[in-house]
Amino acid sequence: MADMRMDDDLFDSIVFAEERFRDEGYREGFEKGSRRGLQDGRRHGACHGARLSCEMSFYYGFAITWKCVLQNSIDGKSRKRVKALETLLGMIQSSPLDDPQSQKLQDDMDKLRAKFRQVCSMLSVPADFKDYISVAEGTSF
Amino acid sequence: MKEALSLVQRLSAHPDSRCWFVSWSPNGTLLASCGGDKTIRIWGKEGDSWICKNVLQDGHQRTVRKVAWSPCGNYLASASFDATTCIWKKKNDDFESLTVLEGHENEVKCVAWAPSGNLLATCSRDKSVWVWEVDEEDEYECVTVVNSHTQDVKHVVWHPTQELLASASYDNNICLYKEEDDDWECRATLQGHTSTVWSLCFDAAGQRLASCSDDRTVKIWREYPAESGPDLSWKCVCTLSGYHGRTVYDVSWCQLTGALATACGDDAVRVFKEDETANPDEPVFSLAAQVARAHNQDVNCVSWNPKEAGLLASCSDNGEIAIWRFQEEE
Repeated sequence: MADMRMDDDLFDSIVFAEERFRDEGYREGFEKGSRRGLQDGRRHGACHGARLSCEMSFYYGFAITWKCVLQNSIDGKSRKRVKALETLLGMIQSSPLDDPQSQKLQDDMDKLRAKFRQVCSMLSVPADFKDYISVAEGTSF
Repeated sequence: MKEALSLVQRLSAHPDSRCWFVSWSPNGTLLASCGGDKTIRIWGKEGDSWICKNVLQDGHQRTVRKVAWSPCGNYLASASFDATTCIWKKKNDDFESLTVLEGHENEVKCVAWAPSGNLLATCSRDKSVWVWEVDEEDEYECVTVVNSHTQDVKHVVWHPTQELLASASYDNNICLYKEEDDDWECRATLQGHTSTVWSLCFDAAGQRLASCSDDRTVKIWREYPAESGPDLSWKCVCTLSGYHGRTVYDVSWCQLTGALATACGDDAVRVFKEDETANPDEPVFSLAAQVARAHNQDVNCVSWNPKEAGLLASCSDNGEIAIWRFQEEE
């Protein structure tokens, strides 16, 4: 009986070799893939974060600068513009920028972009900052 | 069916081009048209016929998609694919370009004046709706940019009495906006159409809104008391389907008679009448008249004269305007 069992084990090691190698290969591949995925994800996140931060910082710098230019003017038009700039600054400060998972972030960014375009219109500044902000493309009827 | 829609006159308004839109002046004496030839034409009646009184050109670099009269009738706004909106001022019998509103990223699709005349709304393929404030010195300032649609915004229209704005989009939805702390916000999204919503029109009282779509239907929406909070409650109470062979591009609700006219891609103009005995929660509309080949190409727009009941203007891709008289059978 003992011999029989040894024969069994011998054959087992051959019969199950394929399965064992497949399992090992899977584990190694999985680890490699995980590392690679982590790197790619980090790069992707960093890239998007940088782009978003660049856009947001551009709005912030724009708004602060214009506010400094206008804040000493007392006419009604300038006051209105300063008010709009302050709204824009308030929106930037209250955005959940440090939480990329936030559901609010996308919504806030859309509102911010809209506000920025309104402010540009009020200041008679062409909103032509394609390097910094996102714009639509294509054709239509 | 009884022929209740008769042709008054056919005008070659924008030859070798499309005529996109027609708009009656508030007193009903002038008709403005615009087209692919980048011009706006003003039509008036002399004797028994309608003739071209003015041609407004050099205002736009591309197609003029819509025109709108201010409630006082002294200003005309034009929305163009060149991304600008022009404001024209009527001076004696002529029009002069007063100002150009810039800001949209690309094609401006529609422009509309609020009933007060102090606000102007524009919408664009850039997915945004803009509201502009007009001051005493004829200066225009943008008061808000709203991005509530996810696609091209095709049409904007104001409520006849309130400061309530509605917009229609390629994203199949209709949005309703109200002012809130110096900003305009979307307070209701009307979902129901299964394809592009091309145009909107409120009834005379402003309690209902008609919408027309690429899904070949016209829907009637009715306002209900809000269930909670500041959001508005509008529900679809009627869908007119099976009448239109192709896209319905425009709908016009006569403020005098309540007749509903449609402009369709199957070249037809149709007029619907409401059964006034029906339950207001389930209104019933029936086809009262139709001209199957009103134009020999797509009908882009229909518009009821605001003062003369039954007088209807339509315009088409072939550059023509047609003026119709709708007579109800007794």
